[in-house]
Amino acid sequence: MKRILPHPPRDAKPRLWRTLEEREDSPAFRESLGREFPHGAAGRDGGEDGLSRRDFVRLMGAAAALAGGLTGCRRPEAHLVPFAKSAEWTIPGKFLYYASSMPSPVGAVPLIVTTSDGRPTKLEGNPLHPVSNGSTDAFAQASLLDLYDPNRSKEIRHDSVTVDRAALDSLLAGIRSSAAGNGGEGLAILVGRDHSPTINRLHADLARQFPKMLWIADEAISLRDAEAAYTEAMGAGFKPIHDFGKADVVLALGSDFLNPSASGLGYSGDFIKRRQPSGTMNRLYAVENHFSLTGGMADHRLRVRASEIGDFTAALAGVIGGKTGNTPLKTLASAFPAGSETFDQAWRWINGVADDLIASRGRSIVIAGPQQPAAVHLLALGINDALGNLGETVLGARTVGNPGPSLSGLCDAIKAGAVKTLLILGNNPVYTAPPALDFPNLLASVPETLHLGLFEDETSKVCHWHVPGAHYLERWGDARTFDGTVCPVQPVILPLWNGISAVEILAQLSGEKVDGPSAVRATFGGFSRDNSEEAWQSFLRNGFAPGTAWPLSKPAFNQAAALTALQAVKPRGSGDGDFELVFLRSSSVDDGRFANNSWLQETPDFVTKLTWDNAALISPADARMLGVQDGDFVKITAGSRFLEIPVLIAPGHADRSVSIALGYGRKGVSHVMEHVGFDAYPLRDSTLCFRNSVGVVRSPRTPYSFARTQEHQNMEGRDIAREGTLGQFRKQPSFASDMDGELPDPVSIYPNPPLRGDLQWGMSVDLNSCIGCNACLLACQAENNIPVVGKDQIRRGRDMAWIRIDRWFASADHREENLEMLPMAVMCQQCENAPCEAVCPANATVHSEEGLNLMAYNRCIGTRYCANNCPWKVRRFNWFDYNERPLDELYFGPLAPKGMADSLKMSKNPNVTVRMRGVMEKCTFCIQRIEEAKIGRSVAAGASDVEKTPLPAFKTACQQACPSESIVFGNISDPGSAVSKAKADARTYSSLKYLNTKPRVTYMARIRNPNPAMPGADCVGAANRREGHAADHS
Amino acid sequence: MPNFFPRWANWFPLQLLVCVLVAGAPVTLGVWYYFTPKYTRVGYQPDQPVPFSHALHVKQLGMDCRYCHSFVEVAGHSNLPATQTCINCHGEGKILPDSPRLAPVRESWKTGLPIPWVQIHRLPDYAYFNHAVHVNRGVSCYSCHGAVNEMSVVYEAESLSMKWCLDCHRSPENFLRPPSEIFNMSWHPPSPSEQREMGMKFREEWKVNPPVSCGGCHR
Repeated sequence: MKRILPHPPRDAKPRLWRTLEEREDSPAFRESLGREFPHGAAGRDGGEDGLSRRDFVRLMGAAAALAGGLTGCRRPEAHLVPFAKSAEWTIPGKFLYYASSMPSPVGAVPLIVTTSDGRPTKLEGNPLHPVSNGSTDAFAQASLLDLYDPNRSKEIRHDSVTVDRAALDSLLAGIRSSAAGNGGEGLAILVGRDHSPTINRLHADLARQFPKMLWIADEAISLRDAEAAYTEAMGAGFKPIHDFGKADVVLALGSDFLNPSASGLGYSGDFIKRRQPSGTMNRLYAVENHFSLTGGMADHRLRVRASEIGDFTAALAGVIGGKTGNTPLKTLASAFPAGSETFDQAWRWINGVADDLIASRGRSIVIAGPQQPAAVHLLALGINDALGNLGETVLGARTVGNPGPSLSGLCDAIKAGAVKTLLILGNNPVYTAPPALDFPNLLASVPETLHLGLFEDETSKVCHWHVPGAHYLERWGDARTFDGTVCPVQPVILPLWNGISAVEILAQLSGEKVDGPSAVRATFGGFSRDNSEEAWQSFLRNGFAPGTAWPLSKPAFNQAAALTALQAVKPRGSGDGDFELVFLRSSSVDDGRFANNSWLQETPDFVTKLTWDNAALISPADARMLGVQDGDFVKITAGSRFLEIPVLIAPGHADRSVSIALGYGRKGVSHVMEHVGFDAYPLRDSTLCFRNSVGVVRSPRTPYSFARTQEHQNMEGRDIAREGTLGQFRKQPSFASDMDGELPDPVSIYPNPPLRGDLQWGMSVDLNSCIGCNACLLACQAENNIPVVGKDQIRRGRDMAWIRIDRWFASADHREENLEMLPMAVMCQQCENAPCEAVCPANATVHSEEGLNLMAYNRCIGTRYCANNCPWKVRRFNWFDYNERPLDELYFGPLAPKGMADSLKMSKNPNVTVRMRGVMEKCTFCIQRIEEAKIGRSVAAGASDVEKTPLPAFKTACQQACPSESIVFGNISDPGSAVSKAKADARTYSSLKYLNTKPRVTYMARIRNPNPAMPGADCVGAANRREGHAADHS
Repeated sequence: MPNFFPRWANWFPLQLLVCVLVAGAPVTLGVWYYFTPKYTRVGYQPDQPVPFSHALHVKQLGMDCRYCHSFVEVAGHSNLPATQTCINCHGEGKILPDSPRLAPVRESWKTGLPIPWVQIHRLPDYAYFNHAVHVNRGVSCYSCHGAVNEMSVVYEAESLSMKWCLDCHRSPENFLRPPSEIFNMSWHPPSPSEQREMGMKFREEWKVNPPVSCGGCHR
């Protein structure tokens, strides 16, 4: 008898949608819904599905040949190799943990490095450190792979000839002796801006010894404009630190402050703590040109071209100045050169925001994106000043001071012939510098050049010397988090390929002898209050030096200086018919530094769900105007340069605006980077995040095929993700679970397994705090040895990530203006009545007594019935030996060479099986961690009652990484556990509850906090509202 | 219509079936027996680089297992001793400092390179066995490794197959020992019935519930 499931009715036009095809409900989309994988995914060559007769005969022949190979079954001899001399602290098979940190220009990420028999295998946030609180961002999780990357440079080269360390030493000694003779004339050093106290100390030391030396600290995506604005109005070295824990109303101006990778883990935790529907709930306004994570979280979002954010801010400042009678602010606003009258329709929006900000004086924040021009930063500061936020929610820190000359300063010096020796330590300016600087040719004209980097990249090809860099897990150093707290960078493994660190090179130049941590130890006395050996040891042990954060003070806004600076701003070019071009910091490769990291390349972008590529993002209206569809090429002309790049239609994007992520399209460095994306750096004319007056026309090239994880695993809009408004929640707290309505009696065709264990595992995911930042996804990848499948396999829908982050768009009135975004992390739901288990012919997936849906890889025979029967589509199949074969050789025959690079083998978690071809896999709540904890409990219990012994504290990998603590995991049979409390919350609901599979993962509905005075307020939080229901908001 | 097939062809299918059965039975039985771990593994006794005798060290000299396998109570792996541990007794001026049989040990100590001991007890990579939890909860070394104290050259005493593991995981009372006798290789239960009685008592007091679902060992 076929069971008829009470599926909820489909709306004629869905409220909640993920793709434009879905919203239009085209016949092609309907057809695709019925398929598990996109067309051609199951075929061997992407053409027809299924096997042709020839293929069948070929495969059978291969199978017969293999069977013949089953001779000679002697047991191979394996060796056990203990240490000759025992190593301190090392217990074979036990993890060893070190505190360290990942340096980054936006602020270091404090880390605990897990090492297994001497190899780092997992990075976790440092729970002692207040910035991390145990969490990390996606980049920190994936940086582990960079350490083991077999493509890293391995040899010192001089004019393409491999030389030894002695040659480098004599080069540095020569540079030092000649600099000592002429005071450093002709010597220039280019470094990144990782805020390392040791590098700063060595810089000061070098500057003292060689006063004429040129020192440039710059980054590809630079913060120079913001810094210039702050120097102008607040004094040199000013850095605003926002206290989101105190803010009730937040306005983000082109700022993605919620993205942990863009803010050094800084703000998401505090912001979420203030966004609790049952406690204090803040309100977030976002003004941006493309959907960012912050825009997705926002209660009200305004689509504005990036170049018009200045106009918006000026208009808002004018309104706030007028309403509060603050004449200085009005003067400031009117000093901004008016661009266009774009905001005619947005005046109601501006008035609404202004009223709300004024009502929350001293408890609001106006934050401008770091790549916004100086004028926006000045105006935002002015508004914060007028609202009395300075000293309350917006604090000021004094950093090291003047950042010194930028890359263009270096170019001027080279042009003037003032640079004879140039050391580039870490940066890749040949790839990233704006073309107007003509950097590659200038670099080639310098007589002596040296490049230090992890890879032999674009810059090292132009330099005379290349030195392999040491990864941050291989070297000593120190770094500051976004608030200035100093963290150590400790080596946890000897350099795999003789990498050398920038600290070593600088110390050698300054004549300091480097021996292990000596250079960092020497700096320690400078920033730590206590210079004792004890303090140093606790610095290394705890992973930070307490009290080293930049002191915070009430900032004093210099109105007059800001006014002068604003008056100097040139009016924005009119040319409204033209497009603007916006450069994004990529969510996968940052500014290009992670381009060789295949974990990150395969991580879908937060919003577009695009992997292994970047694209020109344009609004649906522009796409109609240009007559293009996803994958069609456009030609973008900016000044004398042009780029042909495929478009991706991005809902919620501003009109007449094109956004392209930087860091792609690198060539000739390694095979991972080849054929990945398009390089937008040559189109830049400044360090700003946008440029104006760009021409965009359709190009006749053959359309491009993107690899997106988006169209697969569609859920047909059955209220999987749920949201409501704060008013709705207060009136009816259980609105989310009430959406299920009256369900028929729970009848299950699956036998309920006996759940006898004293521990019962469950998970709760809070959609209200989930930002959608991908940290959990990469933490899962690192923890569970999940392979990378490559662009071609993603196109066929064969992605392997155990956690996928569904990104839903919702618009209650089908208008682009009122679009909402809702991320939702979906992993195996560990159903108690699991549909997958019933269909497995091999008993490879079974239930444990503790409520886990287990997956025994060695039993799996690969029928894929379980994946077919999974309502959430969270099971992943190894179509190929992704671990053993290079991604471009997946289709080679069975006798083709196999094997994993030795260094990659070292990166695997020893406690998780590396799966082979033909095996199904999925999330099992990090069962290796569960078992480890249970074993720890049993060992502690010994000859006593184990159930009375406390379980060691542990977290799943995704839970541990989450910067907003939206994932809670634990024992649901203990009513006092955090997960039981989360599940008891009124917002909790089960997705697809009507199927009665009793998932152990539950979700907590997202709450939006709309302002009724705003235009479109009745469309906020309305993703699940049915046709005909009255608008329900407060 | 003429008869294409001769008369004897009527019996051909039956004859074929009998032949297949007669020839197939030994093959089936052979695979059944000879392809099991009980046959392929038990008794595996490779030559070791150093002819270390457990019989001498444990039985005659009375050394505890944990002198060399020092982390067995805290870690999943039961570690092999570092060369340093051998040198503690066999170093210069101590016991047998010049014995030719100990040359690999001295060589390893001098060069720092490990002694390549040959692995005997080997589980598949997808099976995660943890020593610490077993020896802390009443399972003796003897139960899996046999009478190592009697072996001058170590061999594999048990099959280590999954069925063999499950025999104990399903009824641990047949094997649980008093905690004081875990590392005592010469201790044996007085009788099977007394063992079961004692085992049941431990099982209930300590709440010993060994995992029998896949996730206990396969991750």
